[in-house]
Amino acid sequence: MKFVNKYISLAIFLALWEGLSRFRILDPLFFPPFSAVIESIVHMFKIGTLWPHIELSLFRALLGFFLATVIGAPLGLILGGRFKSQNDVVELPLEILSQINPFLLFHLIILFMGLGESPKVAIVAWTCLWPTLFSAFNGAANVNSSLIKSGRAFGLSTSQLIRKIIWPAAAPTVFTGLRLSLGYSLFMLIAAEMMGASGGLGFLVLRSQEAFQLDRMYAAVVVIAFLGLILDGLLYWLGRKLIFLSLESQVNPSGG
Amino acid sequence: MANSDPANRDDVAMKAAETLYPAAIPALSPDKASAPGDRVFSGGNVKAIIRRYGLLALFLGFWELSGQAHWVDQTIVPSLSTSIKAIVEMWRNIHLGLHIMISLTRVVLGLLIGLTVAVPLAFLLGRLLPKVAVRVNALLQVFGLINPYCLFPVFVVFFGLGEAPKIAVLAWVSLWPIFFNGQSAFRSVDPQLLKTARSLNCGSLTAFWRVCLPAAIPAIFNGIRVGVEMSFFILIAAEMTGATAGLGWIIHNSGASYQTDRIYGAGICVVVLGVLINRFLVVIRRGLLSWSEALAPTWLQFSDTAPKPVKKSVAYAWCLIFILIMALGLIQIFRAENLLIDSTLTPEYRIWYK
Repeated sequence: MKFVNKYISLAIFLALWEGLSRFRILDPLFFPPFSAVIESIVHMFKIGTLWPHIELSLFRALLGFFLATVIGAPLGLILGGRFKSQNDVVELPLEILSQINPFLLFHLIILFMGLGESPKVAIVAWTCLWPTLFSAFNGAANVNSSLIKSGRAFGLSTSQLIRKIIWPAAAPTVFTGLRLSLGYSLFMLIAAEMMGASGGLGFLVLRSQEAFQLDRMYAAVVVIAFLGLILDGLLYWLGRKLIFLSLESQVNPSGG
Repeated sequence: MANSDPANRDDVAMKAAETLYPAAIPALSPDKASAPGDRVFSGGNVKAIIRRYGLLALFLGFWELSGQAHWVDQTIVPSLSTSIKAIVEMWRNIHLGLHIMISLTRVVLGLLIGLTVAVPLAFLLGRLLPKVAVRVNALLQVFGLINPYCLFPVFVVFFGLGEAPKIAVLAWVSLWPIFFNGQSAFRSVDPQLLKTARSLNCGSLTAFWRVCLPAAIPAIFNGIRVGVEMSFFILIAAEMTGATAGLGWIIHNSGASYQTDRIYGAGICVVVLGVLINRFLVVIRRGLLSWSEALAPTWLQFSDTAPKPVKKSVAYAWCLIFILIMALGLIQIFRAENLLIDSTLTPEYRIWYK
């Protein structure tokens, strides 16, 4: 019953979409019925054109996200934990850097990195870096100082202090940032692929738009939304497993 | 500070803690732990200014020097002065100011539309109709995950060509973060406060205005922050592919004609605009919400443990200035529409456009 309650609105929406389009209240040219969209997803899977796009987009998004996490999270933790009192030195440069829109540099990134995978991965990584870095910083900087003091009072060593107190206290914030940046990653990737790529879901959207195959465009959009849901769910699950803490259960769709 | 007897185990431990997390232990290191924000903003303190702007100045100096000394190819990385010259040149020749205003107007209009839809909707679903919220949230989450940039043709079908579909895309982008942040904040308003309000004979409207809204505004602000950030991203991308004005258009056009100095010039404008909007939001937030807790992690700003409050009058003054700029800009845009088309389009394109 709970399941039904949760997804009833989605079902109604899809039924409405199907019905309005079937009975030509909405122009089926622009709004092909949902069944046609599903059909075209199945069709593209069968002839093998959809999976390579999904694979490519997932690869780019996850690689960019991974790079951003590997660079951003430790950097944020170190800046927030170890160098908190020095943060006025780096605050302004980081704020400015975070405002540099990767699309500004799209032409230049291509000049530097050439065509191919690296510009798109760089765009995703750059976008994901900032939420990760800032949330890791805040997580490390706002650890309750009395927790650290009591840890010290019990004679914890530095590494124990990091493992037992600092990390568990900072982890929820870090994971919030990670989820946000995962949302950003798909969001930016689709735009980047629409700007200039020869593969990936964004490219599929663009090509379907240009060929006016709107059922394929909707198919790609549905697949993107579905991927976003799955990735966010996975990260949420992973976060719960890893840090044994109840994260905020609300999905925070940054739109991505 | 305590004595520095190395035999004292606690003291050694404290020292280690101090070096590891100096700011987290204010009692141990009063000199280091004084909130960095205090030092930064106490004007006239030369050292603080150097600390704050030193790295930036160093970077800008290095950039300029690398251009002057020809360390890098000038056609790929023009020096700072060349980029600034390009800004001046664009201001004179292709009405850069108007393009900036157009981009800004699009973002602000999108944000306003997003706000006017999101806040009432969030209140409705978070506060008044929680049972409905349980049923529709799955749908709304899927909507939030849909990338509006993909659906541009659909928006064109609904809103026609011109400004409307772009603004609709931006409104869509900023709508969802505000809505979801607002909804969870409205849902978790402290019931004690509401009960108190009711016992003080507050009507439901007053309770909304005086209790619910103030409780939700910090979260709504966080949503606005994320929304503005994403709007800017998507705006530049949208202007690059389908627009004839705006900063994204300038960048795309310059990129296509290999005028790298113009790319950098327009890029500087975008970054400065982003930083200014960020600052504007911080000032407003601290002026109006000085009582609320530290900034949320999604806020792309290092949170001070004790945010420095801004005077309310200052915040209002900034709001007024912003509204004034927007109004003047809008007047300019309407007056200059033809001028802009003439100056930015190539002749053959202009004929097509007309």
